[in-house]
Amino acid sequence: MDKKPKEEQFRKIITFTPPLYKQRYEFIKDLVGKYKPKKVADLGCADCTLLWMLKFCSCIEVLTGLDICASVMKENMHRLYPLAGDYLQPAERSLTITLHQGSVAHKDPCMLGFDLVTCIELIEHLEESELKEFPEVVFGFMAPSIVVISTPNSEFNPLLPGVMLFRHPDHKFEWNREQFQSWALETARHYDYSVEFTGVGHPPTGMENFGFCTQIGVFVRKYPQTSGSAQSENTTGTVYKTVFKAVYPSLKDEKYLQIAVVNEVIFTAETMKQSLLGHLMSEHEEYNDDPVERRSKSQPSMNFFSDGIGKLVVEKSMEPFVNGNLVYIPLKRIFSFPRVNQLCGTFDRLCKLIAGKVTLSSDGSAVVFNTEHENEEN
Amino acid sequence: MTGRARARARGRLREQEIPLPPVGATSVQHILPSQLPGRLQPQHPHVPPAIPEAPGARGHQRIPQGAPQAQYQRRPEGQKGLESSQEQELSLADRGGRRRDFHDLGVNTRQAIEHVQESKTGSSGTLLKLTTNYFRLKSRPQWALYQYHVGYNPEVEARRLRSALLFQHEELIGKTHAFDGSILFLPRKLGNKVTEVFSRTRHDENVKITITLTNELPPSSPTCLQFYNIIFRRLLKMMNLQQIGRNYYNPNDPVSIPNHRLMVWPGFTSSILQYEESIMLCADVSHKVLRSETVLDFMYGLFQQIGEQRFRDACAKELIGLVVLTKYNNKTYRIDDIDWDGNPQCTFRRSDGSEISFVEYYRRQYNQEITDLNQPVLISQSKRMRGNIVPGPVVLIPELCFLTGLTEKMRNDFNMMKDLAIHTRLPPEQRQREVKRLIDYMQKDDNVQKELRDWGLSFDSNLLSFSARVVQGEKILQSGSVFDYNPQLADWSRETRGVPLICSKPLDNWLLVYTRRNYDVANTLIQNLFKVTPSMGIRMNKATMIEVDDRTEAYLRALQQSVTPDTNIVFCVLSSSRKDKYDAIKKYLCTDCPIPSQCLIARTLSKPQTAMAIATKIALQMNCKMGGELWSVEIPLKQVMIVGIDCYHDSLAGKQSIAGFVSSLNQTMTRWFSRSVVQSRGQELVDGLKACLQTALRDWFKWNNYLPSRIIVYRDGVGDGQLNTLVNYEVPQFLDCLKSVGTDYNPRLTVIVVKKRVNTRFFAHTAGGLKNPPPGTVVDVEVTRPEWYDFFLVSQTVRNGCVSPTHYNVIYDSSKLKPDHIQRLTYKLCHMYYNWSGVIRVPAPCQYAHKLAFLVGQSIHREPNLMLSDKLYYL
Repeated sequence: MDKKPKEEQFRKIITFTPPLYKQRYEFIKDLVGKYKPKKVADLGCADCTLLWMLKFCSCIEVLTGLDICASVMKENMHRLYPLAGDYLQPAERSLTITLHQGSVAHKDPCMLGFDLVTCIELIEHLEESELKEFPEVVFGFMAPSIVVISTPNSEFNPLLPGVMLFRHPDHKFEWNREQFQSWALETARHYDYSVEFTGVGHPPTGMENFGFCTQIGVFVRKYPQTSGSAQSENTTGTVYKTVFKAVYPSLKDEKYLQIAVVNEVIFTAETMKQSLLGHLMSEHEEYNDDPVERRSKSQPSMNFFSDGIGKLVVEKSMEPFVNGNLVYIPLKRIFSFPRVNQLCGTFDRLCKLIAGKVTLSSDGSAVVFNTEHENEEN
Repeated sequence: MTGRARARARGRLREQEIPLPPVGATSVQHILPSQLPGRLQPQHPHVPPAIPEAPGARGHQRIPQGAPQAQYQRRPEGQKGLESSQEQELSLADRGGRRRDFHDLGVNTRQAIEHVQESKTGSSGTLLKLTTNYFRLKSRPQWALYQYHVGYNPEVEARRLRSALLFQHEELIGKTHAFDGSILFLPRKLGNKVTEVFSRTRHDENVKITITLTNELPPSSPTCLQFYNIIFRRLLKMMNLQQIGRNYYNPNDPVSIPNHRLMVWPGFTSSILQYEESIMLCADVSHKVLRSETVLDFMYGLFQQIGEQRFRDACAKELIGLVVLTKYNNKTYRIDDIDWDGNPQCTFRRSDGSEISFVEYYRRQYNQEITDLNQPVLISQSKRMRGNIVPGPVVLIPELCFLTGLTEKMRNDFNMMKDLAIHTRLPPEQRQREVKRLIDYMQKDDNVQKELRDWGLSFDSNLLSFSARVVQGEKILQSGSVFDYNPQLADWSRETRGVPLICSKPLDNWLLVYTRRNYDVANTLIQNLFKVTPSMGIRMNKATMIEVDDRTEAYLRALQQSVTPDTNIVFCVLSSSRKDKYDAIKKYLCTDCPIPSQCLIARTLSKPQTAMAIATKIALQMNCKMGGELWSVEIPLKQVMIVGIDCYHDSLAGKQSIAGFVSSLNQTMTRWFSRSVVQSRGQELVDGLKACLQTALRDWFKWNNYLPSRIIVYRDGVGDGQLNTLVNYEVPQFLDCLKSVGTDYNPRLTVIVVKKRVNTRFFAHTAGGLKNPPPGTVVDVEVTRPEWYDFFLVSQTVRNGCVSPTHYNVIYDSSKLKPDHIQRLTYKLCHMYYNWSGVIRVPAPCQYAHKLAFLVGQSIHREPNLMLSDKLYYL
């Protein structure tokens, strides 16, 4: 069910820019941008290219692929793993990507509760028996809010050189617009969906009557979401085999949130401490005759931090201070930094998250640093 | 700057795996706006790679002078389509030098050394049971790997299609296979030697596929070794380890060091090779330092710190040369330049011909919003070849790039390095446990086990153990006294305290230059020196005190006015660790006005409790710089000249390489001759070394009135995969040079390659569990390579973490010396480095050569005056 190379043959006469397969994927991406689904499944996901594109869409929290052939999925599925960057700066949203091996003619409860199900160039690969089961599985059982089905428009085939019968040897059929639309309308009616038809791959000027090269049906469920998952979990067992699962680091996960908050708090406090000490130092060092090292003087220490919080009046109790070898950075002050504020939301939450991870003053109101052992180099 | 601070700075060159830039990084100011479109245009940000960087494409280039083994050879025709696959390495042998042979596989040097054909093992010392970080790879009896050539008729170019067509016949070839587009490996033999099958393409074309058996490979064949490594990488990927560079890391349990926004990922480095007795996996713990801040974050921070005026220069200084990791596709790039005229709104031409801005591209392609539209862009000169085309520069957006590794500033931050060391320096017991965990992971993972089973392979679950030898400690000789030192500490600073030196040089006439602020420091120093020098036997007069302004020119003027031909040494107290002042002083006193010099940062003497100890060290160091001698060990070999060579590569300026060359002048190995070779890119290092050897022999003759009958060269600074160049070019040049001295002069030559960066670790069995092996531990069995005359030696001790053994590979030897003697001599030489009263990791001449090359590379940038060549002025 590989979708890419088949366009090669078009190039002799008709070329699509961008290539047709990309147009189909862009179509889905635009749809995702419009409806902002949280759970998306791609049936017949093949080499996972669409899934890979969709993983960058920040609305999606669950992304699932299904294909009958495990090896074609395995070939590129490593692209779906989180990247180093995802770990370095965990995202706000959570994201789980799963790949299953199985048939669209079989029901598996793991496919329940989706907002969007896409079937890009899938149905024409189904055997007659499978095609018969397909509507019941997708519209009856999975019953997502939106289903997108794309398939070749056979009326377009005469414009494609070298296409004798079908565009691909594995195609079991190719429909004209009327065939597809009547099948789609019947299915929509039966399962209480509305359907609209469109397509990608415009015909050349003067040949508009051929229709799009790829025809697309967008089905929208008319009834509200039922608590559908309960309906069949007892009737259907698991039939799909999970071949891949990746859970992306997310700030929704307490573990990553805590790491992020602790990191931000310590870094902020550290920067303030350095700045405070630098300020104090520059007051002491009057006769530093090196022009370059004078910069610390020209920049009053707290200057740039205030920039970050606008015209906020800094209370006296929020000022960092030095007491002997100890430097105190009040938590309230740290909390006023946009990034910390944004991560924690409330001050109590901040305190809870850093408890035991950051050295605090005895009353717990400030981060404490001991400067005694610093600069002990030799 | 203290010697330690300078030595620390060197770490960056060793640890970062960055190739030298193809051209010198262009200075930011030189970019004219008119050049801009041309610079941006050819580059599209790469569409995400299907596969992370192929391993082995990057790495050190220690000998960048056009190593002639065809690094950029064209790939054979018909392989063009075989891009980016984990199986790419399979064809390594076919593609010649395109990919580096990191393990120097094809170099067999032992066969030419007659006296070690039977045995290359030493004999002295006591036995010690060791465990190493090696696992045996086992294959079932009569195991073989079947290599097939796969041909297509009509010819099919795309690798994907070639695979797809072939695997339509899975029932024939089975589920277990490795295929790179033309070579197919199978764990079993097909029925026929030549099998022909037909596949149908999507265009209904019939393609005839011919599968021909080309080889039946026994487990230890070189191709098999590559194959094992490929399969092993597959396994690591299955276990969800992330590949960064050549190693694999586990992102799930990072250690974060928030003060510096650092994150450390634990991981593994691994390789499978044929060792002495068996094929083994060498696995070691590796740590990747990543930073949870983007280049843009870093720029903001820098801007706030230093203001607008010097911002651009500071950015260039801090960032150029660093490796960044892209947010969206996990690729690593080296920053070669910053383009201040570019910004994310600039456009580039996509492969389909349309123009698109970076902002729009990243929004559409990766859903990445670029918030700062005025940020400059980073330029990376890609060095990797795609087919025969050298790609243009890559444009990167600072906001979308994470910094990796450590900056110079971080490395100089003692506290931070201490924090880092807690996580990265594992004590032996813990390190061994971590290494074993890799095998445990593998054993628990069903997919991994299945893959191994299908190939008929398995790994031993226990780490390899065997007996090594610990050779006896050396006696330290110092002016008639003989000391034993505690072998556990490998340090004799206590024992030799208060004993006169072998040869002391008087401080009759010396200068002390300081700033007004450091007047007290200078005085304290003199007082302390007066206290410590008498017991060493150093005669000392009061220094000529010169007070200067804290400006480089002031220092230089003082030197020009006050240094006379009678000056023994110049002492400069510096107020900060600023490099320019240090460089200027060293440059002047090493070239124009050749006088030994000693610099010291005032802060070093600020603590009263350590002042005496520091004064002692300084006195010793100054004595060496003036030509004095401290101690020696017994060297039974006569008429032997020892040579040490090391290289320094300026990875930042990217232009010069410096070789340091040091050779002994006397029997006791207490005096050393030195020269350095400065060469720009593309020049042959070996020519310079030849000249060095010639002058070294001349100087030896001046000292001894005869020529040495043996020459032993310790060659450090050899990168992975450079061994071949050494054997085929450098050694013959040495021999040539010796021949040119005279017809009847026929000395014996030994060339030993010294390698410090090895993944091998040894853990000694003691009553209290696993410990570091003691200094003097020699390993010349099991984990050495059968085709080499090599051994490992642990000569130093470490206070925390695991000791790293040094690998010695004798690549040429006409000396007929027994392996035991070479091993002992090597260990003896590790005692002779005068800047450290203890045993060090490498023979002293290597460390001297390193110090020299470093000084020249960092500060002087040309060959120092030969007047200094018989003194250790570079210490």
